Amino acid sequence: MTKIDPNEKKIEVVNLDDFSRSHISYDKLIIATGARSRKPSIPGSQAKNLFTLKDLQDAIAIKTYLEEREPKRVSIIGGGFIGLEMCEAFRLRGLETYLFCRRDLPAGNLEREISEKILKEITENGVHFLPYNEPVSFNQNSEGEITSIETSKGVYPTDMVLAAIGVIPNVELAKEAGVELGKTGAIRTDFAQRTNLKDIYTAGDCCEVFNLISKNWVYTPLADIANKQGRVAGENAAGVKAIFDGVVGSAAFKVFELEVAFTGLGFQAAKEYGYDVDWQIIEADSKVGYMPGSERMIIKLIFDRRSGKLLGAQMAGKEGVARRINVLAVALHQGMTLDQIARLDFAYAPPFSAPFDPILIAAEQAVKKMRRSKM
Amino acid sequence: MSKKERLVIIGGSAAGPSAAARAKRVNPELDVTVFEQGKFVSYGS
Repeated sequence: MTKIDPNEKKIEVVNLDDFSRSHISYDKLIIATGARSRKPSIPGSQAKNLFTLKDLQDAIAIKTYLEEREPKRVSIIGGGFIGLEMCEAFRLRGLETYLFCRRDLPAGNLEREISEKILKEITENGVHFLPYNEPVSFNQNSEGEITSIETSKGVYPTDMVLAAIGVIPNVELAKEAGVELGKTGAIRTDFAQRTNLKDIYTAGDCCEVFNLISKNWVYTPLADIANKQGRVAGENAAGVKAIFDGVVGSAAFKVFELEVAFTGLGFQAAKEYGYDVDWQIIEADSKVGYMPGSERMIIKLIFDRRSGKLLGAQMAGKEGVARRINVLAVALHQGMTLDQIARLDFAYAPPFSAPFDPILIAAEQAVKKMRRSKM
Repeated sequence: MSKKERLVIIGGSAAGPSAAARAKRVNPELDVTVFEQGKFVSYGS
């Protein structure tokens, strides 16, 4: 795809097999151009043993390199979800794994208590965590392969590099055609997935999405959101009215045995949006303690003292975490207060939870903290 | 004779195929074309 002509309602397409060009006219157009991996903007970033991971092609390239070259030592740049998931994947293949992080803890967007659990988990599984280590250059051999990474802290030998430092929305094609971008840099859209141009819709990682808790248009490039936006764009483009209200910001990932899940706003973000923010943190068993497989989990709730409403929740633990967060995602969608959450009627039996589910305990403790602060 | 209405979708990963499937479901008469520059389609759906 090389061009969109919104006046003639035509697009120009290049066939990548023979580079022939053709023009195709449309009545309705959906821009779902996705995002691309961000690459470090330092010398050596084009090296052939530097990988990014976004799609199947990337994964195949990494796997092929692992099989053909049998690297011993891998360096991951970035402590986000992709970097953390890949820690597990590389360790499972027996590679010495180094995680370079620009901050003091991995998953720096999450609450500190959660990030500390993640750090413990990766360290226990043999990952070398390098805090405050931002690469300044990649040193290469004559074959154009990175052999070491230079950071502000030192020089680290490596056989391959995975850069996992986020994605950039693919908006160039849209922008050139006159499609408006939002302040995040992604394509601006509305609840019907329309753009500012007539008969042009957008969906997925190239566009913004409305956050129901911060009441802002944000950039949250996640596959589940993309699919939902896609459906709405498809229906509207096909002439049936559909609406996508927005997201509360839920996600989950697994790093080794640890499940991490979150929804809504973190403490700092909630503060920036002007809420009267407080938080509560608890530890509880995932099931009744005597049941096999019961594990401790940590839950941090972020709430608004003015309204008593939940603003966000983050959890980590080895069992029963990822699914549990969805309860709190529903609570956020419904604008529930902590008091209401604490009295929810959950199904109870010892193999699944304690009589007071960790969520109920967390909400109850948050209510107590709120009451104390008001006295 | 009226020409079929045509929906063109740029991108065949997650949002694109979801949009195509839904558009076709609610309006089977619609002519839907999806373009993808990569080798694989819909791996993210």
